Amino acid sequence: MIPIRYNLRNLAVRRATTLATALGVGLVVFVLAAALMLTEGLRRTLSRSGQPDNAVVMRKGSDNELSSSIANTQVGQIASAPGVKKDADGRPLAVGDVVAVIFADLANGKGKSNIVIRGVTPEGIAFRPEVKVVEGTLPRPGTEEVMVGRKIARRFEGLDLGGELELRKNRSAKVVGVFEAGGSSYESEVWGDLDYVAGAFGREGMVSMVRVRLESPALFDGFAAAVEQDKRLGFDAMPELEFYEKASEQTAVFITAMGVIIAVFFSIGAMIGAMITMYGAVANRRSEIGVLRALGFSRTTILVSFLFESVLLSLLGGLLGIAAASTLGMVKFSMMNFQTFSEIVFAFEPTSEILISALVFGGVMGVIGGFLPAIRAARTAPIEAMRG
Amino acid sequence: MSAEATKADDGHTKPRADKPTIIRCQDLGRTFWRGKERLDVLEELDLEIPEGSFEALMGPSGSGKTTLLNIIAGLDRPTRGRIEVAGKSLGDLSEAALAKWRSQTIGFVFQHFNLIPVLTAVENVELPLLLTKVPASERKKRAQTALRVVGLEDRMDHRPQQLSGGQEQRVGIARAIVHDPKIIVADEPTGELDRQSADDVLTLLERLNREFDKTILMVTHDPAAAERASVLRKLDKGRLS
Repeated sequence: MIPIRYNLRNLAVRRATTLATALGVGLVVFVLAAALMLTEGLRRTLSRSGQPDNAVVMRKGSDNELSSSIANTQVGQIASAPGVKKDADGRPLAVGDVVAVIFADLANGKGKSNIVIRGVTPEGIAFRPEVKVVEGTLPRPGTEEVMVGRKIARRFEGLDLGGELELRKNRSAKVVGVFEAGGSSYESEVWGDLDYVAGAFGREGMVSMVRVRLESPALFDGFAAAVEQDKRLGFDAMPELEFYEKASEQTAVFITAMGVIIAVFFSIGAMIGAMITMYGAVANRRSEIGVLRALGFSRTTILVSFLFESVLLSLLGGLLGIAAASTLGMVKFSMMNFQTFSEIVFAFEPTSEILISALVFGGVMGVIGGFLPAIRAARTAPIEAMRG
Repeated sequence: MSAEATKADDGHTKPRADKPTIIRCQDLGRTFWRGKERLDVLEELDLEIPEGSFEALMGPSGSGKTTLLNIIAGLDRPTRGRIEVAGKSLGDLSEAALAKWRSQTIGFVFQHFNLIPVLTAVENVELPLLLTKVPASERKKRAQTALRVVGLEDRMDHRPQQLSGGQEQRVGIARAIVHDPKIIVADEPTGELDRQSADDVLTLLERLNREFDKTILMVTHDPAAAERASVLRKLDKGRLS
């Protein structure tokens, strides 16, 4: 084999071309990694809202909280299904929320966006121990007070502590607290009293969805069978984690598809760049390649060596790309969740799988971009050595 | 057709008629096409070179010297005729087999030295050994020994651009001998050198021929270089004269 240092030093000698090509590849890897990190960020943010031993019950045919409605009187039936855990006082751990969406002004004055408004009971807050007030206080039951998720607290007009938010005409809410919820999607919501929110949106006597805590995740099938048994009630049950996974699906597919499409388009340019660089390398080193062929190195060895050099070049770019993408971990991103049509804030989540995949993508670009030049190199006749 | 000019009593190695033939060309021809124009660069060429001789090949530009050298070294194939080198009929070898044969049998010395610029002297010399099963540590030792033979033990870690032309050519010679080939082919080895460096290189080639029994075939335009060979052959219009 031709020693690796031959390729490394040749890349170092042509440092300006090497760097320019690597930056092109790096940009593609950066875009791809960023899109995948965004998808992962969304998925994790939504999945943090779910618990493995929780189950959700919705109206049959609904796929999100906005389109589902269950009468308050039916909550008790759901809560009495087998497998539902009970608290210290023997009451089943089951809560129903009212979920609605309002269209509100962004704080930066750049338009409007949707906010999820969740009406909850004190039991509903206690049901989610990850929810903690970090500024101000909890809203008092039966009042127009609301608390705001940390991620959107300053993104919308009126969501500052002490601010006022208009839920509906003449139905304003006063912000008395800011809460965290373990980085989950709840942090992109506004929570108020169940009855006040239901009244504001004309949904009295209804909840959107019921959440129950099971004795164990293994009991889900029995619980679901009991809840879904009565066809007249028309309920669908599913594990909470699965619900959030589905909630992220459309948006995740959209982000991934956008990222991949952009990366693929960019990669065509980067591959052409790598190809031009490698063609240049082959042309400049024609005599050298001839010498290697004259000394007895086979066509395959030459092909592999030049292909390897192209991959090295691309991996260098890939490393630059993933290094740049890794810094995005600190950046927060806000976009529409297609499931609820509301704004959700999440961070880029760099994982080793994503970074490795993006790097491999860079390497593949090197293989594709370097293939034709490597073939040209391998076809160099040994007699070229004599031509000097 | 074969012609040999033997120098006598000049202190140099004489052709060894008693030795077996190592290079044999029979009715060799090589034709190139430039568009529709036919160029017969070599024609009906017969040649026998005994093992261990040091032969110079002279002739005007376009006479076919380098083409003949290329064919003998297995870099090119004849259009007609038969060529046998070191017991192998080169026409019978596949391209891969020919490459392997070259790596074992031939040492190359080029006019333009043709060292790999990004590799040090010792790394350049080591290249032919990468095609063998010699372990890495042994490869380096052999490359260092070859550089000592050519008097460059103090330039082992220098890159080609840090060496003079004469030193570069000596590295080229070290590369040509490191894998102990039977034959060294040299294409204008002094063409790029000043007189002193050319003399040093020719002395080295003589030494390789005399002390290490290498068969050397050298193409040259330089009469002073040809003088140093034991046999001088002249080629004109594709025929030995």
